Amino acid sequence: MERSFKSEVDLLRQGDGDVFEGEGILAITKGLLQAGVGYVTGYQGAPVSHLMDVLSDAKGLLDELGVQYQPAANEAAAAAMLAASINYPLRGAAVWKSVVGTNVASDALSNIASAGVKGGALIIIGEDYGEGASIIQERSHAFAMKSSMWLMDPRPDHERMVDLIDKGFELSEASNTPVMMEFRIRACHLRGRFTAKDNKKPTHSRLNPLTEPNFDYDRICLPPSTYLQERHKVDVRLPAARQFIKEHRLNEIMDGPRNEIGIVVQGGHYNSVLRGLQQLGLADAFGASQVPIYCLNVTYPLVPEEVTAFAAGKRAILVVEEGNPDYLEQAINAELRKADLQTTVIGKAVLPMAGEYTAEVVLNGLVGFLEGAVPTGVDLAGLANEQTRVQDLKDRAGALIGAPVPKRPPGFCVGCPERPVFSAMKLVERQVGKLHVSADIGCHSFSTLPPFNIGNTIVGYGLGLSSASAIGPAFGDKRTITVMGDGGFWHNGLTSGVGQAVFNKEDGVLVIMNNGYTSATGQQDIPSSKGPDGAPMAMSIKRALKTMGVKRVSLLSTYGVGPMVKALRRALTTKDKGLQVIIADGECQLARQRRIKPARRKALAEGKRVVRTRYGVDEATCTGDHSCIRLSGCPSLTIKENPDPLRDDPVASVNNDCVGCGLCGEVADAAVLCPSFYRADIVSNPNGWDRAVDAVRRSWIGLLQRLARPRHQLAQPAE
Amino acid sequence: MSDDAQPISILIAALGGEGGGVLTGWLVDAAMRSDLPVQSISTPGVAQRTGATTYYIEIYPQTNASLGSKRPVLALYPSPGAVDIMVASELIEAGRALENGYVAPDRTTLIAATHRVYAIAEKSAMADGRFDEQRVLRAARELPQRAILMDLTRNPETRSLILNSVLLGAIAGSERLPIDTETFRDAIRHAGKMVDANLTAFEYGLSLARGAIRQAEPEPELEPPASPPRGLQALVSDAAHSFPADALAVVELGLERTADWHNLRYARRYLDRLKPVLETERRVSHSELFPLTAEVARHLALWMTYEDLIRVADLKTRADRFAKIRAEVRAKPDEPVRTREFMKPGVEEVASLLPGFLARPLLRWADRRNLTHRLHVPMRLTSSSAFGFTLIWLLARMRWLRPYGSRFAEEQAAIDGWLDTVRRLADRSPDLALEVARLPRLIKGYSDTHRRGLANYRAIMDGLVAPLLTGDGANDEEAATRIAEARKAALKDPDGDALAETLRPAPNAMAAQ
Repeated sequence: MERSFKSEVDLLRQGDGDVFEGEGILAITKGLLQAGVGYVTGYQGAPVSHLMDVLSDAKGLLDELGVQYQPAANEAAAAAMLAASINYPLRGAAVWKSVVGTNVASDALSNIASAGVKGGALIIIGEDYGEGASIIQERSHAFAMKSSMWLMDPRPDHERMVDLIDKGFELSEASNTPVMMEFRIRACHLRGRFTAKDNKKPTHSRLNPLTEPNFDYDRICLPPSTYLQERHKVDVRLPAARQFIKEHRLNEIMDGPRNEIGIVVQGGHYNSVLRGLQQLGLADAFGASQVPIYCLNVTYPLVPEEVTAFAAGKRAILVVEEGNPDYLEQAINAELRKADLQTTVIGKAVLPMAGEYTAEVVLNGLVGFLEGAVPTGVDLAGLANEQTRVQDLKDRAGALIGAPVPKRPPGFCVGCPERPVFSAMKLVERQVGKLHVSADIGCHSFSTLPPFNIGNTIVGYGLGLSSASAIGPAFGDKRTITVMGDGGFWHNGLTSGVGQAVFNKEDGVLVIMNNGYTSATGQQDIPSSKGPDGAPMAMSIKRALKTMGVKRVSLLSTYGVGPMVKALRRALTTKDKGLQVIIADGECQLARQRRIKPARRKALAEGKRVVRTRYGVDEATCTGDHSCIRLSGCPSLTIKENPDPLRDDPVASVNNDCVGCGLCGEVADAAVLCPSFYRADIVSNPNGWDRAVDAVRRSWIGLLQRLARPRHQLAQPAE
Repeated sequence: MSDDAQPISILIAALGGEGGGVLTGWLVDAAMRSDLPVQSISTPGVAQRTGATTYYIEIYPQTNASLGSKRPVLALYPSPGAVDIMVASELIEAGRALENGYVAPDRTTLIAATHRVYAIAEKSAMADGRFDEQRVLRAARELPQRAILMDLTRNPETRSLILNSVLLGAIAGSERLPIDTETFRDAIRHAGKMVDANLTAFEYGLSLARGAIRQAEPEPELEPPASPPRGLQALVSDAAHSFPADALAVVELGLERTADWHNLRYARRYLDRLKPVLETERRVSHSELFPLTAEVARHLALWMTYEDLIRVADLKTRADRFAKIRAEVRAKPDEPVRTREFMKPGVEEVASLLPGFLARPLLRWADRRNLTHRLHVPMRLTSSSAFGFTLIWLLARMRWLRPYGSRFAEEQAAIDGWLDTVRRLADRSPDLALEVARLPRLIKGYSDTHRRGLANYRAIMDGLVAPLLTGDGANDEEAATRIAEARKAALKDPDGDALAETLRPAPNAMAAQ
């Protein structure tokens, strides 16, 4: 990894009474250490990558404490590591992006949840839902329910989140059950502060090793233990959990004077509800609400006594629960029915079934609820005013601007090594016709967006090649292409994709993007990441493929569009049978720039000769068709006003973000677009030779240029 | 302590990778230094990769010390209509904030950079896909309680300022936050990165927001119209005699361009070709304005100066081109710049310079062998070297060969055909003629792009325009609309799907047959 997290690691060292100030995910990491966690594992993914980034830089601290940190090959492996807590009183945490990570992990999770745990097992999940999410929109809630794990949804406040981590371990131990703790994107990236405590050494570790292995058949996930375990879940663990939640007040009840109504909210949305009430004049800035609030920091299991006690005596309660299905609303309804309470439960009737609960959505839901519930002493007319005001504002802006402003979807970074591969695919499509492309998870999935629009399916991380297995033969002799990243390859593409394709003698083309990191999640290292010497630190993709029995593997630089076009065409049309693999090799440009920029600045400051390369477009020869942009989409390849007063269409232009990857020139060349691109090498701190050569060149060129002035201009007076 | 103090909300709209996180960090740090409760949110993830992204900050305007044990509950989401300071790092992002209701006339200070970073849909359009900036600018000035707008890209002296710190300066200068100006500076110093450059930019933003400086309107970059080169003067004064004011400016440009492309005789030919169009329009128009002549003058100049190998070589070897490149790549005066060209003329481009009796067999041969699209002469030349430059320069000197080349004859014939059609239709309907006059806009670019444009032009000329010449003119108005639609459709997608759709006869017409 090219980044350093030293200042973050320093924060993790804070002790009793220090004021911690930083992002939520870092506070969570600190919370784990304060709770005496013995081992931490996980698989990177927004919004929880940072936890892993920081811990991988914190070796010294972890060694002092005796905490093990091991990044896992994938989420299933991370979940499997929690097995350490089955037989021993060892606290452990696994972290990943959810719902996708939980999907991958679910095999191991089900088994661990069945066996039960002695040591506290915490699963930190980054609930990637709503704006900024990059995955399918589902709730992780169902996993907790079906496997009888507990699900915590802490109120986004650093102090409370850190405290609940400690409580989460205790809850897990008190009920022998793994606990999932979900943090939404915004909570993970929330910057705030809390008062730190000393880190705690785990009970057992290298520093204080276990002595006796524990054998207990009841903890093996085979019959008849599995029947026992199932019964244990309902007879012992669930009641124990409810007892613990109640006793330690993990959920919070904030009472208020308008107690004929109430609001039940997932902890994560507490702040939005409070802000909404504040906007409606029903709460102050410090959390004092006129309407009672029942804040669920644990959303599974519910504690029936708490629910009924809150609802008793109220005419109506609002359930603020994001996403679908509406598990909480259903469960609360059921509890009230069982208790024979007639309180009306309103939830998805005024709040949307799908989509993120932003401030505006919650506000509208609150207004809907209050208008229906008609609590005494609340001015209903005033409520609607706020809504109308916002709508008027939007309408006015819309009318002034005229049309919706253009969308700005994410895309490949400037100089990204993956972009040229898709430029090449576009050019190959011109020769062989449109192709079916099975895409995968990773930065390369941006190919499905403009300007490429390449990629027909995405079904899971590392599953690109498996997803091509059935569709490939359906296209007959016309091969399909699969794109997989090196991250996905090691995550599981090697076995489920390559292994399967070779075993079944599948015909197809696999392009592996070898950029050296899991780039989309923040450039974490993977088995084939390169060390300082440029050789893979652990494993090589090419050797792995050969060992798996792949016969055709070619390794190409991604930036050579011409050779890539040829290689793709050959792989698509060759008579050879079997999997054709092209490894597209090019380091993630973000990581590369992070390394070379400081080095270049330093060299410049020291007066050393530095050559900087960038590309440009001749505005005089560009005719403004923008084919080059449609084949590239590079953020630094943009447009500007046409300097030619006779032309309307803007000309292409390269801005100063250009890192000189050369793709635009390559594309113009490979696609025979136009002669407008040029490459410029700028020599800073030139040496004597540079200067001399430059002087000679310039005087010769100047001479020719003077000779060439058109006759009708010669008559002009000299400038 | 008053209970009705509300948190101050700041929403920052930026593009991924622009460093909105740094700006957020400074603000949070400045608030903490002032002992104010503060919370910030970012939504990284994939949006960080060049897409639109936002940062949200809430600051409570009373110090922790004065609040005692009380802590405000701060929100994670901005609420429309309830943002105090809306910051946008680009014009369309400001527009997005306006559209989403984050800018309220009774509350919001809008601080926005108004330069454009074009979205992919705007950039990849085949013609001009840019969003109407003026409307967004108007909304940005009209809607907020106070607008602090700036375009740092317009003037060379502000272009190098770091946008983030200018914005921070403007936030400080807006005086919406209970934070000392010096505390903001401390935050920059504490972060410790490029402190001097950031502080300079901060001061600029500060003065801008305080009204101490005003952004100067950029100097018009066009120099005052120089008197035409002496050789052209006769032609220019001839034009000034014959052409009306609204067309004259274009005609003068056309004269210069055609002379520059070939020679004075060619410029004379330009004028001669244009005069009949003017005469026709004089005859049929009842207005003081001559839009048809102006439009024809423009497209005629562009078409007559089509981009051939010689023209490209000529443009690439000019002194002002190298000066422009040095400026664009920001090379310092003592820094040598090497330039390398990516020229790759194909069979057609080479054949176009050969006389017809040589060009035709060559093209037939290439076509038979399926080489027309595949055979090229890759010329990756270093134009800054003596050898590379001389080679391209020599190519540029071959303009005298042009009239003997096969393409020259073809283009002149096509131009005359187009002019003839425009004139004949102008007699009937100036509006219709105007649409036909606009069609050469489709012909541009090189190689495949040029082939595609030309094919589209011909498809419309043959499919829609040619039948009109024999018609009675009854449907001229409708035809003008159809031609305009077809022209737009041709610029919609490179595969020609939209154009094919437009040119297809209407289904009811088919049924009637």
